[in-house]
Amino acid sequence: MILSAILAASPTPTPVSVPGSGIFSSPLLLSLTIWMPVAVAAALSVMPNPRGRYDVLIKQIAFFTNLGLLFVLFVAYNQFQSFVPTMQYEEKVPWLAAVGVTYHLGVDGPGMLMLILSGLIGIASVLASLGIRERVRPYFALLLLAQAAVNGAIVAHDMFILVLFWGAAAIPLALLVFGWGGPRSQVAGWRLIGYWGLGTAALAVGAMTLYAATGGTSFDMDVVLKATLSPRIQMAVGLLMIVAAATRLPLFPLHGWIRDVCAEAPIGVSVVVTGAASRLGAFLLLRTLIAAEPVAAHILGPLLAALAALTVGYGAVAALRTVDIRQVSAYLAMIPGGVTVLGLAALSPLGIAGSVLSLFAGGLAAALIVGACATISERAQSRSLLVLSGLAPRMPNLAWLLIAAALAILGVPILATFPAELMTFFGAFKTQPIGAFAVALGLAVGAVALATLLRRILFGPPNPDAPGVSDSSLGETWYLALLAGGLLWVGVFPGGPTIPGTATPLFDPGMVNVMAAGISEIASPYTGPSAQ
Amino acid sequence: MRNAVLVPDALIVAAAVLALLAGRFSWLSASSRRRLPALAAAVAVVAFGLELWVGATLSTYFGGALVQDRFALFAKAAVLLAAALAIATADWTTEDSIPIGVAMPLLAAFGVMVAASAGDLVALWAGLELAAAAGVVMVSLRRPDLALRSLLAGGLASALLLMGIAYLYATTGNQDIAAIRAVLLGSAPSVALAIPVVLLLSGLAMRASLVPFQVAGLPAGLGASPLGSGLAVGLIAAGAVIVAIKLGAALLPISAVYSPYLEVLAAIAMVGGGAAALAVRAPRTRLAYLAAGQVGWLVAGLVTHYRTGVGASLFLLGAFVVAATCGPAVLGRAEGGEAAIAGLGALRPARAAALALAMLSLAGAPPLAGAFGELAVAAALAQSGHFALLALGALGWILGIAAALGTLRTIYLQSPLEEGRRGASAALPLLTRLSSMGAVALCFVIVAYGLLGNPIMGLADQGAQALGLR
Repeated sequence: MILSAILAASPTPTPVSVPGSGIFSSPLLLSLTIWMPVAVAAALSVMPNPRGRYDVLIKQIAFFTNLGLLFVLFVAYNQFQSFVPTMQYEEKVPWLAAVGVTYHLGVDGPGMLMLILSGLIGIASVLASLGIRERVRPYFALLLLAQAAVNGAIVAHDMFILVLFWGAAAIPLALLVFGWGGPRSQVAGWRLIGYWGLGTAALAVGAMTLYAATGGTSFDMDVVLKATLSPRIQMAVGLLMIVAAATRLPLFPLHGWIRDVCAEAPIGVSVVVTGAASRLGAFLLLRTLIAAEPVAAHILGPLLAALAALTVGYGAVAALRTVDIRQVSAYLAMIPGGVTVLGLAALSPLGIAGSVLSLFAGGLAAALIVGACATISERAQSRSLLVLSGLAPRMPNLAWLLIAAALAILGVPILATFPAELMTFFGAFKTQPIGAFAVALGLAVGAVALATLLRRILFGPPNPDAPGVSDSSLGETWYLALLAGGLLWVGVFPGGPTIPGTATPLFDPGMVNVMAAGISEIASPYTGPSAQ
Repeated sequence: MRNAVLVPDALIVAAAVLALLAGRFSWLSASSRRRLPALAAAVAVVAFGLELWVGATLSTYFGGALVQDRFALFAKAAVLLAAALAIATADWTTEDSIPIGVAMPLLAAFGVMVAASAGDLVALWAGLELAAAAGVVMVSLRRPDLALRSLLAGGLASALLLMGIAYLYATTGNQDIAAIRAVLLGSAPSVALAIPVVLLLSGLAMRASLVPFQVAGLPAGLGASPLGSGLAVGLIAAGAVIVAIKLGAALLPISAVYSPYLEVLAAIAMVGGGAAALAVRAPRTRLAYLAAGQVGWLVAGLVTHYRTGVGASLFLLGAFVVAATCGPAVLGRAEGGEAAIAGLGALRPARAAALALAMLSLAGAPPLAGAFGELAVAAALAQSGHFALLALGALGWILGIAAALGTLRTIYLQSPLEEGRRGASAALPLLTRLSSMGAVALCFVIVAYGLLGNPIMGLADQGAQALGLR
């Protein structure tokens, strides 16, 4: 079974065009993913809404904006040329020429996966936010701004622009936590600002170091990330990027914000933070350390593996010892991030490919576990695991979705996390055996934590003293099913479904085929005998 | 065409003097008096347009006392835009006198314009003093006690500047800025040169209310009306920075004398400004400390001594002067502390947005004007190898962002005060067509400054080049 999964996850060697691709194209496709949500957010923020009269309309606008965005991204995904190592959909306009800043956007395979992830998470977050009743207009405007900033950070191909969008993502998300969070939202908001601010500062200093080390003429990633730097500079930049990534993903010991944010933020915000915004951390490591600084990556690889092991282990143990279901989900959401980083630390083509797929699958899995637990706590009117018990018969939809989330975190077959974790571990056991073993051990503890969680709240004896319980609403079911469906689809068809009897893709070129574009180049310093 | 370059300056002075005379001799009816701010803002906008149109002509006036170059063009345009927006956004019901309130920002702007185009040390000093005097007048209208304090602190700053200028003149035998540089090219850094430079920089730091020199000047500035606070926090500080940039260019050959001092000043201002902004809750004080932190970034750009760094500082100066001058003006009375602006987003959306953007820009939040400027300065710091200063700047930046978000939370996420509990100190700004238009224009400028930054940055770079920097 394992072998068949690996074979299924192997990229198709020859690209075949997808029927229906080419129905839409725009030279500003990536700009559209950034500026369309910004424009809608600006329009929403000035739209009159006396006494909440147009609350429903505002929610519909946010939903259809995301739907439109997902459509655009799906078209981009379909038209994406697999196996082409260069950036695609590039846009390049001089911005601040005097300091060498260019409005340079572009995506490769991993970037395309991140964009699709962001699109799915965006629509899920809007559906998860349909229950918002207070200050609806600013809520959805801020949500769209956060989404735009995340998209900007994904497609940025200039370090200056990356810093701008990376930093900009924290502001709307912090305001969303402050304004619409639970009783401890102030603590959560300040922690988010503190940790993400530290990460942004580290990224800014790292970007400036790269800029200075490459002659101070350009921030373009084609210049600063392709230059040959001294090992000392590479180490300095690598350490700064690890700090930036660790605050965002998060990695132990810079994970201090995730428990409070996931426990206190509104569900839609938790989904965005854990699903897309936090994945930027691993994406940054892939771009700026693994792909650009091979010497530093070789030296820092064991450190990354250790951080991954500590993150997975800590997340699993903390989840075992916590009795607040939303805090448990926060700790469990740390696990996919650790697995992703282990793949990066492996510094092998298979490990890197696994970690790229894990970016997508781990993002969906983390969002699913956080969303499912938060929805259960709302529907069961309690967050305490001492109160919640025997809920499966009374909330069957949520029970199934929580089980799917648990299986996704563990990486069981037919879910997208399975090929991702398999490739990661196959890649990592060769080059980082101790780290890989420790992560596997952490996953085993995580399995115990998940089993305990499921047994307690779903299959334990019903608690007669617990408050009333109801199953998920249509919107809640849809957003969780969307996340679970994404995991299932990629798990079953990692290479995309084909028209029977042919090699022609049906409508999906296949996630592993798309992500292959760019991975070969990223992994090129780590192939061959000299890399070992 | 050559003399047309002076038309913006003349327009501003004429408008200020006419406003003062009209107020003194009661030439205006009550309704005309109410239109005075709109008229003054229009004059400032026309002067701004003229400056951009005719200011590109390179020329010298009054025997070299005034020099029109790209540096002067950039600085004058930024100051005129800030003055126009501040007058337009101010809540004139909270100002103590409309004619004086209109005239003083224009006079302060004129003072800074003189300093920006100064060709010698006297013009530099005179321009800065004129701007500072306008600030003292604004304070004295509301708080004569604080005005006296401000006058004393200003006197000390002025004395330091004058002593520094005198020493510099005695050492170099010149008061012409270009000539001083030419003389210093052959000199080695010495104690005799270090004394005047340190005196000059200390005087300028006091004028700019730079942390830790804010002790005397800043509280006095904050005691003024909203527009008066804007002058103290924004225009006068910008004037001091402009003087520092020009002096820095002249003293470049002996930069070793003052670089460590500037680095320490910049570091303290960046971190101290951010920390102080986080520690206080009152929005006007927080805004002032955020501005002080951004002045630290401006000074950090000067530490590099390169065209890139000074160009980045100049680019940031444009963002700073607009946000710092207009921020207090758009904030309005708000003397009742943080509660005064609670829920402002729902009650006065345009003003709230302008205030939020001004705060975020001063904190350096991306992707607004201040962030572009601070990142450009950061790039210059990295390029010149000042990584410690860059790291401290990043620390100050985090603190500043946290502080600005705290105020944003109050504006947008807290419930407004009940009308019965809203005293005079927390009165809502009056809605007028001018102030609403001003607030919208301010939002546009802060957002567009970075997004359309290429020509502005190019002009700032040319400005730095005009100072003879490489």
